[in-house]
Amino acid sequence: MLIGVKKEKGLAEEMAHRQSMGQSYRAIVWRQFRRNRMAVWSLRLLYVFLFIALFGDFIANEKPIYCRIGGQTYFPVLRQYAVGLGLAKWEARFFQKSWDEHEYESVIWAPIPYSAGTIDRKNSNYVSPGGRQRVSSARFRHWLGTDQIGRDVAAGLISGARIAMMVGVVSMAIATLIGLFMGALAGYFGDERFRASRSRLLMNLLGLAAGIFYGFGARAYALSEGPFGWELLRSLGILAGSLVLANLLAAPLKRLPWLGKKARVPMDIIVMRLIEVINSIPALLLVLSVVAIIEKPSILFVMAVIGLIRWTGVARFVRAELLRIRSLEYIEAAQALGFSEWRIIFRHAIPNALTPVLITVAFGVASAILLEAFLSFLGVGVPPQQVTWGSMLNLARAQFSAWWLAIFPGFAIFLTVTIFNLIGEGLADAMDPRLKH
Amino acid sequence: MFQYLLKRLLIFIPTLLAISLLAFGLSKMAPGDPVEQSSRGGGLGDAQSSLANAERVYREKARELGLDKPAFYFGISPAAYPDTLYRILRRGQREALAKLAGRYGNWEQIAAYHRSIQVLEGALRQLPANAPGAYAARSSLQQLYLAHSDARISSLLDGLAAEVEQDTALGPVLSGTVQGLREEYEAVKRQATPWKLYIPDFKWHGLDNQYHRWISGFLQFDFGKSYYDSRPVAHKMKDALFWTVLINGLAVLAAYLLSIPLGVFSAVWKGSFFDRASTLALFMLYSLPSFWVATMLAVFLTTPEYGMDWFPSLGLGSLPDEAPFWSRFRETAAHLILPVFCLSYGALAFISRQMRGGMLNVIRQDYIRTAWAKGLNSRQVVWKHAFRNALFPIITMFASIFPSVFAGSVVIEVIFNIPGMGKLTIDAIFQRDWPVVYTVLMLSAILTMAGILISDVLYAWIDPRVSYSKKQ
Repeated sequence: MLIGVKKEKGLAEEMAHRQSMGQSYRAIVWRQFRRNRMAVWSLRLLYVFLFIALFGDFIANEKPIYCRIGGQTYFPVLRQYAVGLGLAKWEARFFQKSWDEHEYESVIWAPIPYSAGTIDRKNSNYVSPGGRQRVSSARFRHWLGTDQIGRDVAAGLISGARIAMMVGVVSMAIATLIGLFMGALAGYFGDERFRASRSRLLMNLLGLAAGIFYGFGARAYALSEGPFGWELLRSLGILAGSLVLANLLAAPLKRLPWLGKKARVPMDIIVMRLIEVINSIPALLLVLSVVAIIEKPSILFVMAVIGLIRWTGVARFVRAELLRIRSLEYIEAAQALGFSEWRIIFRHAIPNALTPVLITVAFGVASAILLEAFLSFLGVGVPPQQVTWGSMLNLARAQFSAWWLAIFPGFAIFLTVTIFNLIGEGLADAMDPRLKH
Repeated sequence: MFQYLLKRLLIFIPTLLAISLLAFGLSKMAPGDPVEQSSRGGGLGDAQSSLANAERVYREKARELGLDKPAFYFGISPAAYPDTLYRILRRGQREALAKLAGRYGNWEQIAAYHRSIQVLEGALRQLPANAPGAYAARSSLQQLYLAHSDARISSLLDGLAAEVEQDTALGPVLSGTVQGLREEYEAVKRQATPWKLYIPDFKWHGLDNQYHRWISGFLQFDFGKSYYDSRPVAHKMKDALFWTVLINGLAVLAAYLLSIPLGVFSAVWKGSFFDRASTLALFMLYSLPSFWVATMLAVFLTTPEYGMDWFPSLGLGSLPDEAPFWSRFRETAAHLILPVFCLSYGALAFISRQMRGGMLNVIRQDYIRTAWAKGLNSRQVVWKHAFRNALFPIITMFASIFPSVFAGSVVIEVIFNIPGMGKLTIDAIFQRDWPVVYTVLMLSAILTMAGILISDVLYAWIDPRVSYSKKQ
């Protein structure tokens, strides 16, 4: 987010201030954050969204939450999970009729008695929220209308919330992991600090090449034909094993005169060049052209691609943080104590960079959600039957008179993106010392 | 300064190289057989009677697209794969053979098996086309070319044998050949050499390869031909570029004209009602997803449905070319108002926030206090001393804003049906017209890099305090 980036830049100054205060840094930030009413309300709304995303199946579902048929009690929504895990089966009677046609002795429906994919044939062809609906009672009314084939808009919004949250969280989790690692490499080591013996560098390069060759090149057939997840795991295992072996071999090789010499690797330049390559391509176009080549669209792939592209923001931020942190006294103390570089990075340096990283993560989630909405609006990379906010908004273009399809999903996107932006702004403000008075 | 420029330009080259490799790699992974895609219009594979002719046309087309060359300068692959796999032109066949090689590792036997499929196909072609079993046998053969799993190949071979046996005309001529084919396949399985998969083999292909051909064409502005309508990609883009540049230019211009005074005023009266209201409003605007706003505007303001039919419907209007210039101009302008608005409000919010921040920074400086102290009136202080110094970063931002607005216009063009670059890209993705997609990807990357470079250079040029001679 463009506005966020500017905020982040002003952050460097608060750091000196941080030490002078007796409290822990996190406590100060949290206290500041709570003063920002907009941000606090956004956080509360975020909890609501998370709740909807987690418990969406209990809010909008064509199956009843509880019902009694023929003297037997069922909890169909819960059973759905058990069936999904392979622990239970549906009884024959549930196959014969759709859920609203059973004769229930008693029943409790979900607040919205439709699933996102439920097709209500009696109310197809864009039934307006306020218009006449052919439903048995107000309980079954489509409060936000339906689309062309009779899917309930409210149920679609609930399922869209789940997907948006998943996209935001998963893709930013991937991005944060990569970004933390790359940013720490670049920031902590800079261009001059990463020194390793030539034998280690060479062996790692060889190990990487061999790992890719034996893990992926030689196993191309197994990877394309076998169960993909399992084969991929095995390939990654081979890659890791090859790297471990290379490092084990590197230790004795160090004794040789030429191989034992230390060499310098300019980590900062390498990482920054990589970031530059990725940032040179407009993210939307890059995601579009990567996602477009997949023959079987899936939301998981979209999340992975967004994560793999959006790590650069986190990395730059972590790099800037670590460039500062690495010259602090406690890091020098840790080095003097003889801790290994990796231990210092992961145990001592990164934890102190984490709180500020939250800002980029908050903005990143917003932009990931927006990007996914973009993609599903355009209908690229997301399976056609998947109901998301973007795909619902796209339906509005087919029928201009269906205003409810234009307003509700778009407002949901707007609200979510704004919430995350406000939280990001709030965090950035909370970490800005100029507001502390 | 000159050194800095030179250094940046030198860095440009490896970055561009990396991006070109990415774009090329993606285009190679894109689904579909490029030869068939590029000749969808006509001629290929339509006539059963001229199979040999179709094969010849296919080969010519593949040669024209350079697909009879290896993909890259070199390759590292297991020794089980031959270094001439690229000579198998049909993508489906090539991939099936590669899978067989990746499973059994004995290319000699696999090649022999492939040849005997071809022999059988040739023998079938010699027979009269109306022989009853010939059609079924041919279609089994076509599937055999693409099959790689053991079960599938076995069942196809069984089917083929049955089809040949049942047909009295085919049986005596071909049953021996079919039997030979089956033996070749059994040989592939029997004499498998999977150990060859574990021996790396480096293959050098030289300069005559697809990537070299593509990138050297690209550097000479030859972007290849569209798969969809065989027009040169450059021509298609030239038409589209006009509209994209027009609406983006207008949008950025509008954003600047509005946001600069807005930013200055809210900085000068910081904390006032105007400042707070405009900050909030701009933040809301900034958070509004442009494709939602665009959809809403299209839904509510371009149709008589809601009584607000204030703007013409989507597209660019349909006046013929011979209509008088002014009426065409008015028609087009009316169609462009909504898209330009949708493109500009995001940039508007961003720029005015930056302007406000920049002004606030400047106003705190000592020389502004001096200006007040020597009794200048507020207009002189604000516009002559503060504004000028705050303006520079905003101007240099222009170069970096342009690419982002450009990317944002993808969805606006789709919604308002404007035949610009964004719509071209999306259409190309749906038509699987990969040359267009990856050319746009490359060009937008070059534009973005150029934009960042220009803004950095401008910044260094305008503000002498910024030193790029050494890294901090």
